[in-house]
Amino acid sequence: MHRRDLLKHAGALGAGAALSQLGIFAARAQTVSDYKALVCIFMYGGNDGNNTIVPIGASGYAAYAAARTLIALPQNTLLPLAEAGGAATFGLHPALGGATGLQAMWDAKQLAIVANVGTLVTPLTKAQYLQLNTAKPASLFSHIDQQLQWQASLSAAPSTTGWGGRLADQLAGLNTGMSIPSMISTAGNNLFVTGRASQALAIPTSGSFALSGFHNSAPDGARLSALAALLGVDRGTDLLDAAQDVMTGALRSSAVLKPVLEANTGAVNGYFATQNSDIALQLLAVAKIVEARATLGARRQVFLVSIGPFDTHTEQLNAQQTLFAELGPALKSFHDSMSNIGAGASVTSFTLSDFSRTYQPNTNGGTDHAWGSNHFVAGGAVKGGQFYGKWPELALGSPDDLGTVGRWIPTTAVDQYAATLASWFGVGAGDLALVLPNLAAFAPATLGFI
Amino acid sequence: MSKLFACTELSRQQLAAASAMPQARSPISYCGMNARIAPQLPSVLCRMMRIVALCGCLLTGCDGDGDAVSGPAASAAATLGATATRPAASASTIMPPAVSMGVTDAARLLEQATFGPTPSEVTRVAALGFDGFIAEQLTTPATTYSGFTYVPHLAAPGCHFNAASLGSAASTCSRDNYSLFQVQRQFFAHALTGPDQLRQRVAFALSQLFVVSGEKVYEAYGMAAFQNLLLHDAFGNFRQVLEDVTLSPVMGWYLDMARNAKANPAGGTAPDENYAREVLQLFSIGVNKLNADGSLALDANSQPQATYDQNVIDGFSAIFTGWTFAPLPGTQSVWMNPINFQGTMVSFPEQHEPGTKLLLDGVVVPAGQTPEADLKAALDAVFNHPNVGPFIGKQLIQHLVTSNPSPAYVARIAAVFANDGQGVRGDLAAVVKAILGDVEARGAAPSQPDGGHLREPALFITTVLRALGGRSDGVFLNDAITAMGQPLFTPLTVFNFYPPSYVLPGTNTLAPEFFIQNAATGLARSNFINQLILLGGAAPEPSVGGSIGTTVELSSLANVAATSADTLVDALNSQLVHGSLSSAAHEAIVTALNVLPADDGLERARMAAYLIATSQQFQVER
Repeated sequence: MHRRDLLKHAGALGAGAALSQLGIFAARAQTVSDYKALVCIFMYGGNDGNNTIVPIGASGYAAYAAARTLIALPQNTLLPLAEAGGAATFGLHPALGGATGLQAMWDAKQLAIVANVGTLVTPLTKAQYLQLNTAKPASLFSHIDQQLQWQASLSAAPSTTGWGGRLADQLAGLNTGMSIPSMISTAGNNLFVTGRASQALAIPTSGSFALSGFHNSAPDGARLSALAALLGVDRGTDLLDAAQDVMTGALRSSAVLKPVLEANTGAVNGYFATQNSDIALQLLAVAKIVEARATLGARRQVFLVSIGPFDTHTEQLNAQQTLFAELGPALKSFHDSMSNIGAGASVTSFTLSDFSRTYQPNTNGGTDHAWGSNHFVAGGAVKGGQFYGKWPELALGSPDDLGTVGRWIPTTAVDQYAATLASWFGVGAGDLALVLPNLAAFAPATLGFI
Repeated sequence: MSKLFACTELSRQQLAAASAMPQARSPISYCGMNARIAPQLPSVLCRMMRIVALCGCLLTGCDGDGDAVSGPAASAAATLGATATRPAASASTIMPPAVSMGVTDAARLLEQATFGPTPSEVTRVAALGFDGFIAEQLTTPATTYSGFTYVPHLAAPGCHFNAASLGSAASTCSRDNYSLFQVQRQFFAHALTGPDQLRQRVAFALSQLFVVSGEKVYEAYGMAAFQNLLLHDAFGNFRQVLEDVTLSPVMGWYLDMARNAKANPAGGTAPDENYAREVLQLFSIGVNKLNADGSLALDANSQPQATYDQNVIDGFSAIFTGWTFAPLPGTQSVWMNPINFQGTMVSFPEQHEPGTKLLLDGVVVPAGQTPEADLKAALDAVFNHPNVGPFIGKQLIQHLVTSNPSPAYVARIAAVFANDGQGVRGDLAAVVKAILGDVEARGAAPSQPDGGHLREPALFITTVLRALGGRSDGVFLNDAITAMGQPLFTPLTVFNFYPPSYVLPGTNTLAPEFFIQNAATGLARSNFINQLILLGGAAPEPSVGGSIGTTVELSSLANVAATSADTLVDALNSQLVHGSLSSAAHEAIVTALNVLPADDGLERARMAAYLIATSQQFQVER
């Protein structure tokens, strides 16, 4: 999918005198030790995990094909995910890529797969799920509710913060002296990157990230002064304050990031030379910012990128083929570029999604909303080439199916998945509950994939 | 004759009013005079109007009642396929007597009920008054999307986009038929110049409730048909909207109700749930039970109560089986009729789930009914659910007036939805009038500190252009609105560009439009103003027929600037924010203006317009 180019403008706001009027100071270059970044890849719409990772052995595949009928992937197209000993029980969707995609990352032990992760308030068996008064996530199978629950890692009640935001809040002390917000989104505003004290900076993936139309002239200087003054008066009501805060932050951050995002000679650019998909452009922007981490004074950064739509009620085979063909190479290029700039073990990416989809297809060549799904974690620090979590019994009506069409009750909670990443990111064991308030409902707290 | 431009059909009231004006002579000058009613009629459109003679009376003569006589002009209109719908009121509707309203109140009404005030409209509506304006707008026929024709879902070889050859016939064919480009341009034309402003506003709000996205429906004729459906139904009954949307082939394709077949146990498939879920969650009742004032109806343990569960979804999924695209003209109708966004879907009883279906609140539809009977039962049940008034009413308030209506405001609107005063449930015209006439909407300023809402990109763009004498063919505007986060008719998901429940982080203040307001999109707004006001806008685009570019007209403001900087800021204050600029803001702008020579009125006008149009005081409409 290709987003339309943004307008390109001349005369973008330059550094120097104009910036000082707005209280922006030039970033000071620093050396950074112990840098870490988390890159959340949100697959919006509910990616069908059942066709992302597929049983590849004889009996496993036969059962899969019998259940999935018209949307079963051909066995000889699956990319084997070899485990210790060389044999493969599962294979990857072919479009996720072999040598230039996720299979290569798996073989290099930089990709882990966590099975059957989903939103839970408390662990559930099928019998417990069917009982009326068991605590279950609110509005299961509703896109927006499940997206928010994955982003908040809270399912019992609505949350005003996301776990990425709470992570940033918790580790804010490591980021003093950072010249831009510690969370950055190429996917617009999002609960995942909303904290109590901070919100992500939203950046465009193409076009200039800057205020246009100001040059070194007296009238332009006066106009800029008036613009700044207008941002400072009439404070005191929520809507206007919020609008003024957005613009003030935009001016400050864009002045710092404009040269970073426009740089085309950095080490990371070459890794994306042949890719111009939307997800590739987003990951390139992230890569450029990571490359500039010393200049930005960053030690802990949380990024959000997104890809979709995965809501494959129809034409699932085509949709996943197209999207995965973009995601696989982009993700490999991204992590290769991170290795190249010495951040290979410092940057970890991971997927989230609303839910998985029904094992049994519908009459339209697609699938409907389900629950527990399989997710990827990638990067140099990952203990890759292994599966984590517990596979559901992949059969319609099995003890893991809440009904008859193949909606797997999760065997790992989002909280545990998130806690594993938060722990690596630098949250001590005793502080995990501050970031993930419902973690104590699940055991073990972390899963060991990184 | 090209059908590129929609001919606006003027109401008889407008014709009568125009003919009473001393300046009205020839149809051309009438069209020029019509600038008072609809500011920017391109000259091409005026020429077409003359030919079509929907300025009818003036060419063919009128009888004593002002009714146009029949003749060649009327049939010419039919030949050209002018698609304006008939006014809802009868020909002899008496317009309410004009009871004037305050000028500031009139400006705010225009901000809420149109795509932006113009100085002449403020004066006119202030004199006309609220009831007169609403009555006029409710009876102004729709300006519809026109000139689109069917294309098959798979583009022919000569109609493929070629990035290496943008101006080629193939790329142009692809752009005009397999993208929403021409639909988006017509949206801007309607918003900037259409006389049916309130209908366009309400239809635009409905398009963000009953979402069909260009992400999946990229055939121009399909999206045009769906938007015309909403325009046609905007002042009708909500029950009709539910039915028309449900049977729309465009919605059928978007949310998979088209070709949704009954369960096939042997083949291991079950009915698709997509439309069942979204018609309940987004188009009618939402996921939780509501009180009439829009608050959650909590149970004895203070917990929200779900309106439906998976069993209900299964029931509705079964209801919505057995419908497919209408056959193409001259072909035999089969279940797998090819994708066809014309007309309405047709039923195939043998593809319809035969069993019982569970609906809301335990109601069960008996087995063996026709697809039509099942559909009626389901939509009746949905329509009559008590949630609909507050659920839909509150969102209409948010689109038109304020993000944070008081519970009492929502309750008042829900009451009108339940009963319009004539015993009718679901009367959208009554609901819209009640929303705009409510005490929380009217007056010279909002009654609440956080009244109002952030102008969404579409309203931000059109308000600036309408206030500043802007003209546009929509091409530049379309790029700009995409950079601001609102690619027209193309939200990423069926949840629209922004959810109605979005609150400002750290507050309890609802602010849906802020979901797409961030550093990237905020800068895009400012940079759009820079290009529009300081860099001359946009030149005509050679690959677009009839392109006129985008410009604003600041010469009258330049004349005002000659008086003083204060007078200039006062004028822009009045035109853009109905005089609500604070003295601190005023002073900040005057300080900057004084750097420019006093006799350079145009430069001063540009600077002042830039500063106010980019200000957050203008972004937030109050």
